[in-house]
Amino acid sequence: MAAQSIETTPITENIGLIARFFRGAKWYGTEWYITVSGGVILVLILLMTILAPRLAPYDPVKPVGSPFTAPGGGRQVLIVQTGEEAVREPSDLAGVLVGVRANSTGQFRVLELEAQVKKFYEIEECFQALTEGQVDALVVEEHLAPEFMPAYDDRLEQVGEPFGRTFVLGTDNLGRDILSRIIFGARAVLLVAVLSASFSALVGVPIGLLSGFVGGAVDRVLSLIMDSVYSFPGLILAIAMAAVLQLKMQQVLEQVMATIGTHLSGDQIAVMTGTMTTTAAIAVVYMPTFFRIVRGQVLAIKQQLYVEAARSLGARPTTILFRYVFPNVIASMVVIFSVNIADAILTEAGLSFIGLGLPPPTPDWGYDISKGRQFLPAGQWWLVTFPGLMIILVALGFSMFGEGLSEILNPRLTES
Amino acid sequence: MSEPVLQIRNLRVDYPTRVGVVHGIDGVSLAVHRGEVLGLVGESGCGKSTMGMAILRLLRPPGEIVGGEIIFNGRNLLELSIEEMRRLRGANISMIFQDPMTCLNPLQRVSDHIVETIQTHGPESTQEARKRAAELIDKLGIRVERLDDYPHQLSGGMRQRVMIGLALALNADLIIADEPTTSLDVIVEAQFLDQLRDLQHQFNLTIILITHNIGVVAELADRVAVMYAGKLMELADVHLLFDDPLHPYTQGLLNSVPNISLTEDHLQIMGGDPPDLINPPPGCKFHPRCPRAIDRCQFEEPPFKEVRPGRWSACWLYE
Repeated sequence: MAAQSIETTPITENIGLIARFFRGAKWYGTEWYITVSGGVILVLILLMTILAPRLAPYDPVKPVGSPFTAPGGGRQVLIVQTGEEAVREPSDLAGVLVGVRANSTGQFRVLELEAQVKKFYEIEECFQALTEGQVDALVVEEHLAPEFMPAYDDRLEQVGEPFGRTFVLGTDNLGRDILSRIIFGARAVLLVAVLSASFSALVGVPIGLLSGFVGGAVDRVLSLIMDSVYSFPGLILAIAMAAVLQLKMQQVLEQVMATIGTHLSGDQIAVMTGTMTTTAAIAVVYMPTFFRIVRGQVLAIKQQLYVEAARSLGARPTTILFRYVFPNVIASMVVIFSVNIADAILTEAGLSFIGLGLPPPTPDWGYDISKGRQFLPAGQWWLVTFPGLMIILVALGFSMFGEGLSEILNPRLTES
Repeated sequence: MSEPVLQIRNLRVDYPTRVGVVHGIDGVSLAVHRGEVLGLVGESGCGKSTMGMAILRLLRPPGEIVGGEIIFNGRNLLELSIEEMRRLRGANISMIFQDPMTCLNPLQRVSDHIVETIQTHGPESTQEARKRAAELIDKLGIRVERLDDYPHQLSGGMRQRVMIGLALALNADLIIADEPTTSLDVIVEAQFLDQLRDLQHQFNLTIILITHNIGVVAELADRVAVMYAGKLMELADVHLLFDDPLHPYTQGLLNSVPNISLTEDHLQIMGGDPPDLINPPPGCKFHPRCPRAIDRCQFEEPPFKEVRPGRWSACWLYE
């Protein structure tokens, strides 16, 4: 045999990585677009978490405007007594005594303009005070001015254009900016969801592999344990786990901090405890999904002829497990992973809602939805809609990326 | 004849089931000589595939070997440890399966399969193993560029050749081919048989060819063993067996092969059904279907013995 002349190097076109990336659209078709769209969504959300302090227009945990400001609202108008010459535009307000409604957007704006503030609880009181000369000017919401001005038509006048920043997505029941809360909330959500899904995969997948591959008594016992976990309603189990873990987590955390000599404030401890508790609780809930799917897949793959063929050629059990069984499981694993992340976000919301997740002022989509839900019947739809859309977007990003990737990575499904 | 590579003595395999014990193989004795192709034929469920898996000790539970000896190169395989047995598979005895479409891992390249098999049994570096893999598939008539293809990129015939390549990778002393042509179309089958014959001559391979296809046996085998209900019925040189089948079952089997030169009336169908292996008929297991059964067949089981020089049969007709 003329075996010496045989060239064994694979014939591949020598093109750059970026060119390869774009050529993927041709190779893989729709899957490529799905994967890349999912990837883009995830990258954008990741950027959002990193750049949160720069992107967010307001402090996410402090009231910055009137409660329930509709999306796009928040601009203020300046009202003075007719004939007033000193105050003609917002920049004139420094040092002037300005009447505002307590805890309204106007109050925060005026403080920014370094005016003196006199707060009233009713809007009528403000107008009354201005006519009586108790204050030199009024700053009220843009949409309120036309409602009350006609009554004082002869005595008061509106000067300048409406001013001040708007709340793009509105404010919540405490006057916090929803956009800022969403931007900062991505951190908590991604951290908890990704960590918990990773932990459940990290535990569930190896146990599933072992259980399915070894079979027999090991399989029975592990399946029994996992099924008993699975039989609990997910949220109830998460609540129980979180309740049990919370105190312990806090103690452990405090001990660790004491050992390494770092001092954290009570708030920081609370946030870290909340994150760890939620992560652990959710991880336990979703462990059985990974276990069951992986075990089922392993059982099916174990019966495949190629596994038997490998065995007949003397492959070691470890080789069979890691080179024949595991790679064939990955595709379904990726899909469960992305689905579980979406689920984990919702479970985390539930935990936060009953006070077992992150402590309340921390921005958190799930918590905001749970809280905002009660205002929906009153017509304040923006409290739930925008965090809800974000959850959908993140879940969609993970699903698209995950499923697309599983299609692309599976050589059986690619056209060559 | 040269020395036997494999000697099976009184092998028995049982499948305990809920309704009773199935005697998958019921006392089979057989010798396979170096360099020969032994055809193992019989109808579905007669235990011929079980034989193949039993030799490799890869029976699926609940199947288990309950008796007998499998002597391979002087060692009783049934006494080896699990680890010794594993090392023997692939290196000394390897197997070709019937469905080339599913017998390769869809996520591994052709090269990975061969390299892995070589490295499992030897100290070769990946480079050396790759070089050998390239030589191997070249010999099998697959272009070397296909070495890094995934199985789904190959045709059925090519996959089957890769499977042979895997079986040949370590110059195994014995190759068990379990229905290797069943899922191939006739043209690919013919190519495959040609190639297998060439390789057999070239490397002096010892092959156990398990098939229900009499044509394949006639094409390739040197000797033929006919199995029925877990027992050997007849064993003879391929020409003798086809020219002059002794056992009535073999005769029936050969008559039921469709042949273009036969008219419709000549194609004979063997009456009856394969026996119930849980409660097999007493005496000769074939007697309920046997056209030439005598009284003795109902009560006494005929021994499998040499009835004429080089011809073994289990039938009272040749007492």
